[in-house]
Amino acid sequence: MRRDELRFFLLVVPALAYIAFFVVYPAFRAVYSSFVLPNGRFSLYYYRFLESVGLGEAVVDTIIVTVGALVVQLALALAVASLLTKEFKGKRAVSTIMITPMGVATVVAAVTFSFIFEVTGGYANSILHLFGLRGINWYANDAMSLLVVILSDAWKNTPIVALILLAGMTAIPQDLYYAAAVDGAGPIRRFFYVTLPNLREFIAIALIIRGVQEFNIFALPLILIGYHPPLLTTLTYELYTTSFPAVGPSLAAATILLVFILAFLVLILRVRGR
Amino acid sequence: MRASRALIYVAAGLLSALFLFPLYILILIAFQPPKYTLISTYPPLVPKELTLANLVAALSGTAFIDPFLKSVETATLVGLITLALAIPAGYGLSRLPSRLSYPVLVLILLTNIMPGVIIGIPIAVQFIRAGLYETVVGLALAQTLVTLPLATLILQGTFSAVPRDLEHQAMIDGANLFNRLRYVLLPNSAPGIAAAYLISWMFSWDEFTYAILLMPYHSTLPVTIYTDITRGNLLAGAAFSVVFTVPVIILTYGLQRYLKGQYISGGLKGAA
Repeated sequence: MRRDELRFFLLVVPALAYIAFFVVYPAFRAVYSSFVLPNGRFSLYYYRFLESVGLGEAVVDTIIVTVGALVVQLALALAVASLLTKEFKGKRAVSTIMITPMGVATVVAAVTFSFIFEVTGGYANSILHLFGLRGINWYANDAMSLLVVILSDAWKNTPIVALILLAGMTAIPQDLYYAAAVDGAGPIRRFFYVTLPNLREFIAIALIIRGVQEFNIFALPLILIGYHPPLLTTLTYELYTTSFPAVGPSLAAATILLVFILAFLVLILRVRGR
Repeated sequence: MRASRALIYVAAGLLSALFLFPLYILILIAFQPPKYTLISTYPPLVPKELTLANLVAALSGTAFIDPFLKSVETATLVGLITLALAIPAGYGLSRLPSRLSYPVLVLILLTNIMPGVIIGIPIAVQFIRAGLYETVVGLALAQTLVTLPLATLILQGTFSAVPRDLEHQAMIDGANLFNRLRYVLLPNSAPGIAAAYLISWMFSWDEFTYAILLMPYHSTLPVTIYTDITRGNLLAGAAFSVVFTVPVIILTYGLQRYLKGQYISGGLKGAA
C-alpha cells in the first residue's frame, strides 16, 4: 500500500472497527457459545435439545418460505419491471405507487395482512364473499399459514426486486429486440430469448439480496403465525425468551440459520459462475 | 397494437391496485367504527361511516407518545452515528484504487447478511453487563449495522462524483484534509449526505429485530404495535400503524431517486 493510499484507508478504519466489534465478534461468540456448556465443556447438547423442540420442522419451513417468497417476488417483479419499460400515460404515477410498500414498515405490513387474512372478519374472505364463495380458514394447516407469510412478504418486498430488474432491463440494448422482432420473434419469445438471458446478472443480485433477507424473515411470521409452524428465526426468538439467561439452545438455532445463509450464498454464486 | 395498449393499461391498473390495497384496508380499519371492520364477519370493502374516534382513543395518553419519541430519538441517533462512520469511510473508499476499495466494500455489505438474531442475542447479553440494555444509545448502535452498508455505498458514489481537481486546488491553497472535507467535499455532496441520513433514519424507524431483542419493555413504535396486536388491542395497533406509516411514505417518495435499483445493485454487481 502506498503512503497516500494508507491515509485514505485509515478513514475506513472506524467503520471496519465498528463492524468487527458489533458483527464479527458477536457472531463468533454466538457460534462458540452454542457449542459450550455453562461448565465450559464442549458439547452438542444444545443441538440435540433443538431436535426435540422442532428443529427439523423449522428448517423445512424456512426453506419453503424462502423459496416460495423468491419465486412469487421474482414473478411479480418481472411483471412490474416489464410494464415500466413500456411508455404509457400515467407511468410516473404507477412507478411511484409501486414503491409505496418500501415506505411501509415491516411490522405495519404484518399487522395489515393479519387483518386481511383474519379467519372471521378478514378482508380476503370479504372478497371471496363478494364472488359468492365461502370464507376460508387461512391458518387451517401449516402450508396455508406459510402461504400467508409468503404473500405478505411478497407485497412488502416485490418493489425492491422490481427496481433491480428494471435497472437491468433498461440496460438491455433496444437493437436486440428489433433484431429479434425482424427474425419473427413475438413478445413472449423475445422475453424468453432476449430479456431473461440478459437479466441473469440482475436476477442473481436480486436473489442474493432477497434470499438472505428471506432466511432472516422475522417480524412478519412472528405477527402473522407466531411460532406455529416455527421458522428458524421465530424458533430462535422463542427459545431466547423462554430460556433467558441460558441462551444456549437459541444460539444453536441461530448458528444453524447462519449455516443456511452461507450455504445459500455459495449456491447462488456457483450457479451464476457457470 | 391497440389491443396491447389496452393490455398495458389493464396491467398497470391491476398492479397499482395490488400495491395500494393493503394500505387501503389499514385506512378502512383505522377510520371506521369497529362494527364495520373488526367485528363484522365479512367487513365491507367500501367505507360506510368515517370516524376519528379510534385514532383519538389510541393517540391520547402516553401509550403512543413514549414509543413515538423513542422511535424518533433512536432514528435520529442512528442517522448521526451512521454519518459519522460512513462519511469518512465513503470518502476513503472513493479515493482508493478499486483493488483496495472493492474488497472493503464487499466486507461492509456482507454485514447485512448476518441474521439479526445471531448478532442481537450476544449483543443483548453484553449490553446487560455494560448498562446499554433498554437504552436508546444501545439500540442505535445496533441498528447502525443495518444502515451503515447502504449509507457507505451511497456516499462512496457521491464523493466519487466530486471532481478531484477541486480538491487539488484546495490543496494548493494549503487546505489540509479536514478543511478539504469541510469546504470542498461536504458542500458539494450535500444531497447525497442528506439522502444517506434520511435512508438511515427510515431504516431505523422500520427496524424490529434489534428493537425487540435490545429494548423489549419500553420500546420503539414497531415493538409497541407488535405488543398491542398480540394483546388483542387491534384498533390501537391499526391507528398507530397509520400514524407511523405516513411520514415514511412521504420520505420514500422524496427519496425515490436514491432507492433506485442501480444504487442498490451497484455495489454488489461485481461481487455477485
